[in-house]
Amino acid sequence: MQDKPLVEVKKLKKSYGDTEVLKEINGTVMPGQVICVIGPSGAGKSTFLRCLNMLETPTAGQVLFEGKDTQKFSEEELTTLRERMGMVFQSFNLFPNLTVLENLKLAPIRVKKMSDKDAEEKALALLKRVGLDEKANVYPSSLSGGQAQRVAIARALAMDPECLLFDEPTSALDPEMVGEVLAVMKELAEDGMTMVVVTHEMGFAREVANEVWFMADGYLLEKNKPDEIFSNPQNARTKDFISKIINS
Amino acid sequence: MKVKGRNVLLTIMTLCLSLLFLFTVQPTHHTVYAADDSLQKIKDRGKIVMATSPDYPPYEFQVSKNGKSRIVGMDVDIMKQVAKDLGVKLEIKSMSYDSVLVAVETGKADVAMSGINPTAKRRQSVDFSEIYYNGGQSFLINKTDVGKYKNKAALAHKKIGAQTGTLQYNLAKSKIPGATVKGMDKNTDLVLALKTHKIDALGIETPSAEAYVKNDHDLAMIKSGYKLNKNETGSAMAFKKGSGTLAAAVNKSIDKIKAKHLTTQYLADAGKYMKVNTNNTSMFHYWTYFAKGIEYTLIISAISVVLGVLLGTILALMRFSRSKILKAISVAYVEFVRGTPLMVQVMFVYFGIGIIVNLPALLSGIIAVSLNSGAYVEEIIRGGINSVDKGQTEASASLGLAKGDTMRFVVLPQALKNIWPALGNEFVSLIKESSIVSIIGVTDLIYQLNIVRADTYRGVMPVFVAMIIYFVITFILTRVLNYAEGRMKHAR
Ligand SMILES: Nc1ncnc2c1ncn2[C@@H]1O[C@H](COP(=O)(O)OP(=O)(O)OP(=O)(O)O)[C@@H](O)[C@H]1O
Ligand SMILES: [Mg+2]
Repeated sequence: MQDKPLVEVKKLKKSYGDTEVLKEINGTVMPGQVICVIGPSGAGKSTFLRCLNMLETPTAGQVLFEGKDTQKFSEEELTTLRERMGMVFQSFNLFPNLTVLENLKLAPIRVKKMSDKDAEEKALALLKRVGLDEKANVYPSSLSGGQAQRVAIARALAMDPECLLFDEPTSALDPEMVGEVLAVMKELAEDGMTMVVVTHEMGFAREVANEVWFMADGYLLEKNKPDEIFSNPQNARTKDFISKIINS
Repeated sequence: MKVKGRNVLLTIMTLCLSLLFLFTVQPTHHTVYAADDSLQKIKDRGKIVMATSPDYPPYEFQVSKNGKSRIVGMDVDIMKQVAKDLGVKLEIKSMSYDSVLVAVETGKADVAMSGINPTAKRRQSVDFSEIYYNGGQSFLINKTDVGKYKNKAALAHKKIGAQTGTLQYNLAKSKIPGATVKGMDKNTDLVLALKTHKIDALGIETPSAEAYVKNDHDLAMIKSGYKLNKNETGSAMAFKKGSGTLAAAVNKSIDKIKAKHLTTQYLADAGKYMKVNTNNTSMFHYWTYFAKGIEYTLIISAISVVLGVLLGTILALMRFSRSKILKAISVAYVEFVRGTPLMVQVMFVYFGIGIIVNLPALLSGIIAVSLNSGAYVEEIIRGGINSVDKGQTEASASLGLAKGDTMRFVVLPQALKNIWPALGNEFVSLIKESSIVSIIGVTDLIYQLNIVRADTYRGVMPVFVAMIIYFVITFILTRVLNYAEGRMKHAR
């Protein structure tokens, strides 16, 4: 692992009007790291993730990408940031007006200026990788949830990102489909992809994550190795949350 | 929020001010600087333009011969003689009666001639030629009432009809004790009101009354018995203020016409046309009129819907742009257009903009309807765009796609599904609402319908035919749109 951080978060704050959603977040993501973010609903996990690729603009504090302040990014630098930092959403957000293949090809062609032929080749390879090459020409509405999320991952991968953000990628799925998505994610982690994953899948966190971050009430309350945080949580809120999750 | 609101207000105010400027500054500019080149201008151009409302036989009306319709009547014959004396060609612009004087004031036409009485009030805004014809005033009544209404005195406390804004209207109001005066735009409507006993008598010029009586055996006429100043009751031509040289030249021609008693011949000729006209008043006989009306209605609607969608899209994109100025312009435009009647917009484009550039009526109509439709289309598109899930925009942004690309490839295609049905409705209502352009003389279905009514002396049937035609057009269109909508759903 290299020693220069990929993302650094310093005293990040975010409010919507009067409601302070993120009160103070500090953290570092090293290249190749897999970080799982856990915490109760409303803790601000999604908001935090969206501040990382500037879908939300922080109210105060900094998000540094390779040491550079993302809030000072020009339009082009922002595009580059998003090329290099893909995102996968809870509700997939595939484009329903485009076929699966077109979903994958759109950004490489429009943003990376890839030729149609190259983009298609790449898209088909990625679909094969997530086991969906036979679905290339269907529309997203005919996919199951698990298939849709795997397509969404492939779509993010089509931009060759160095880092992927996942916001509860399996929460909207039927239980029998969770496994296929986690399997793809696990494979990505093994290939050295840097990942920040908001999830309730404790098994995945324990097995794949390098670090688990616990968030509550807009604070990052605890960071630790998965084994440590699950077996020996330091913070009372963490203890409470983990016992609830494990017992449910 | 506050700042934004103020911005919008500012834009609206600027808009209003510039409109005001247009109206107030322009006329003074003319009176101060314009030397009287009214005659010279026409001679240079080799053409004199006459504004008229051809629904007033025998003064002016439309006839069709071999499928081609043209405007004929005593006024037209007189004007032809005038043009000949001036050594120029004659061009006739037809429009609603309300518009003919505005047309000369705004320079759309050189002369307004439509059986106009040169009242003192009108003299304040336009110049008049001398009287070229004095037909006198009469009342039309139902034949069944001949015994009842023998003279003007018998009409006291009765319901009298007259064209709004005419001498007849004012006379009935001021000279018949206790009368209720009902004003309408068209004599054809008034005749219908008379025949259905909604009014008891109709104040009208004698030659027109004679024409109606000749062609409709249910009607009779009585002399008005008004004691009138000749100068106010005859018909004269109207010019823009300060057209002394033109008026003088025209008066010379009028003197000649009077000396030779040419009007008698002209009236006789007009009568002949009317004979031809009333031989066959079946609606089929007039199918070319309706066909032409349909053609224009469809042309206006089709072009306006395309331009409206273009403009609406641009306005919607402005609304969603980051620039506060573009946003404010879009908001102000939509608010302003939605807050003013289409009829006023049509008149503004034709007469108001006409001061700067001389737009033909059809083009003015298309522009006004397009500008109007654009505002409504913007609302439709905005609604459609807002209905697209926010997650779509976020997913697109997270892939690095630019705002424009996100719109073009992700949001708009999805929005279109919601926009399409509403846009279809807009198209249908556009076809109906475009009928307002008839007031500036665009020969759309409504305009043609009024011509047919004036021509056939039949009040209801042409209206019924037009109603059916509108319904058939919109019905077919709705089917087509539904079919297209269905196809679009299958594609997904
Ligand atoms: N655009 C917004 N405007 C106002 N409040 C918001 C907005 N987005 C989020 N919030 C509020 O911020 C808080 C944190 O939201 P966030 O979605 O980040 O939580 P979360 O930890 O992801 O929760 P969950 O597990 O339910 O997804 C919530 O109380 C939410 O209502
Ligand atoms: Mg969330």
